[in-house]
Amino acid sequence: MAGPGSTVSPILLASLRDLQWRSRRFVLAALAAGLVFGVALMMSGVANSFTVEIKNTVSSLGATSWFVKAGIPGPFTDPAPFPASAADAIRSVPGVSAAEPILVSRALTHGAIQTPRGANLAPGPERNVNLLGVVPGHVGAPRVTKGTPLGGPDSVVVDESLKTGIGDVIALNGVHFKVVGLLNGVTYFAGQPVAFVTLGAAQQLGFSGASLASAVITKGTPEGSVPGFTSLTDAQVRADLKRPIVQADQTIQLIQVILWIVAAGIIGAIVYISALERKGDFAVLKAVGTPSSHLFAGLVIQAIVMAVGAAVIGILVEIPMSSSSSMAVRLALSNYVAVPVVAVIVGVVASVMPARRAARVDPAIAFGGGK
Amino acid sequence: MNLLEVTDLTVEYSSGGYKVRPLHEFNLSMDKGELGVLLGASGCGKSTLLSAIAGLLRPVSGSIRVNETEVVGLSGKDMNEYRQNSVGIVFQAFNLIPSLTARENIELVCRTAGRTRAAARHQADHLLETVNLGDRARHRPGSMSGGQQQRVAIARALALDPPVVLADEPTAHLDYIQVEGVLDILRKLADADRTVLIATHDERLLPLADRIVELSPRVAPEASVQHRELEDGEVLFEQGAPGSLVYTVESGLIQLFRSRDDGTEELVSEVTPGAYFGELAPMFGLPRSATARASQRTVVTGVPVPEFRTGLKPNR
Repeated sequence: MAGPGSTVSPILLASLRDLQWRSRRFVLAALAAGLVFGVALMMSGVANSFTVEIKNTVSSLGATSWFVKAGIPGPFTDPAPFPASAADAIRSVPGVSAAEPILVSRALTHGAIQTPRGANLAPGPERNVNLLGVVPGHVGAPRVTKGTPLGGPDSVVVDESLKTGIGDVIALNGVHFKVVGLLNGVTYFAGQPVAFVTLGAAQQLGFSGASLASAVITKGTPEGSVPGFTSLTDAQVRADLKRPIVQADQTIQLIQVILWIVAAGIIGAIVYISALERKGDFAVLKAVGTPSSHLFAGLVIQAIVMAVGAAVIGILVEIPMSSSSSMAVRLALSNYVAVPVVAVIVGVVASVMPARRAARVDPAIAFGGGK
Repeated sequence: MNLLEVTDLTVEYSSGGYKVRPLHEFNLSMDKGELGVLLGASGCGKSTLLSAIAGLLRPVSGSIRVNETEVVGLSGKDMNEYRQNSVGIVFQAFNLIPSLTARENIELVCRTAGRTRAAARHQADHLLETVNLGDRARHRPGSMSGGQQQRVAIARALALDPPVVLADEPTAHLDYIQVEGVLDILRKLADADRTVLIATHDERLLPLADRIVELSPRVAPEASVQHRELEDGEVLFEQGAPGSLVYTVESGLIQLFRSRDDGTEELVSEVTPGAYFGELAPMFGLPRSATARASQRTVVTGVPVPEFRTGLKPNR
């Protein structure tokens, strides 16, 4: 006699053979479910990008704490300006080793309009950029991945997603700046690139040169307070920056769940049709003594095999889909690993109804005249 | 003790919402080495009897004993073991699993019963040789003729060497050349340790049989003209009973009821004076399809079919 578990393998054999037998149908279903998995995976990447871009942007300034006007939730979502000279008072707070004002605003650009050699380019489509005015060489000045750090008042450091090169000239609200450095992944508000300019340039662009700031960022943890100001940590600033896109994030998660359900529906429908067609087979199998639980397991196995196949297809199709997306898609290895895991769950859920139907088949129908 | 003992077996099932009783207190006993042929018209209960013996239908009452094991009442694991080890079934439409090869169809049965892969394969190959299909082991049913498929089905029925083999219309889908091979194998199956019971319409199987069992409706005894006076609510005949007379209502009212599978009754029709009813059962040898009950004091006249035909006039 065979050892324990050996009774499961015949039903595995029957299930896999049936998959081969109806392979065209199962492959088509796996392709359809795979596309759905691919879109769901891409949505995960989009949702991830919201978190990653916020983290990148906040950390790009290298601050320990952020002073904003009291009552203001954060420097990015409600940039209530105050005199930049407030930085002097904050520098004297114990624990603070350095403090510089920054100015947060927005600008419009058409991308590169001139090459490094001075050749004019046709303006690209209008885009919003998040403008950050910082003091070059001090806390707040970003560390570039390409090019040189922010320098003079006509220089700008931009995120690579703006698709400009070092030396290109861009116009921000009509004022020309030369791209001296590039950043990677420094965006917020769902992929809008950040452009760093000098504090003075930002004041000129947004406030007609008035010496204003949205926040004062420090090095060192402040051990005291400044009247009229609130000190925020990086985590609080990240939470503030995420608040405007929380609903978008939730919507994406809802769409993801819907997509998993659609994938389960596709797989479930195919397995269900298969179960209906195999009613006679199940009756025969029960008539020869196959336990109902094995028939149930057989269909669950089929659904899992199909779902895992769909997961592989999903991972393969996600790559070209994400690369052609205009939104940032950031996926970690864990996201890819999660797809087959979710696929197995989807497969099990999808197969429950057809598997129960198979397990309930009356074996007497194996006889033509049986009831 | 006989290998197969069926005693007072009554089977009912639901059909289209109505209760049908194809077997009523049926008895059969067969010993080792016997080949029995069940003959009878469609719907007389041949397949139902096989299903009950195979443990696929639960009878209303009665007993089925195979090798001294009482089959009625088995359930769960015990029933699965009985189906695996005690009966082999050859189905009318072969019922091979189309995605599996001939060998795999047999192996599956062996492995479901816990045989090792090697033992299952050895048994499958041996049985395919036995039915002269050793060279078709890797073929799927779709690429085999009906006769070949039926021989694979026979091999599958023998996979676990059961003491009882049941075959339901095994020649129904075969031409005469294919029938020959199948009949030869079926005859050889009934050996010293095995009983074979075949349900069929095919009279070519009769010469093979050690025992022929005719499954036909219970025939009512010969009857002569009867006049009956019925009180309100009195039953003239019951659904499922044999019938020999066609009745005409002389006075009063007869109501015909059909039993539903939920235990209730459905009024089928009402028969008023001058109209006749109950003609189909005696004319075609069928059981009564409804219960006839007087709904007031009623007088009816019952006549045998020949007299009924002689005096038949359109009256409805």
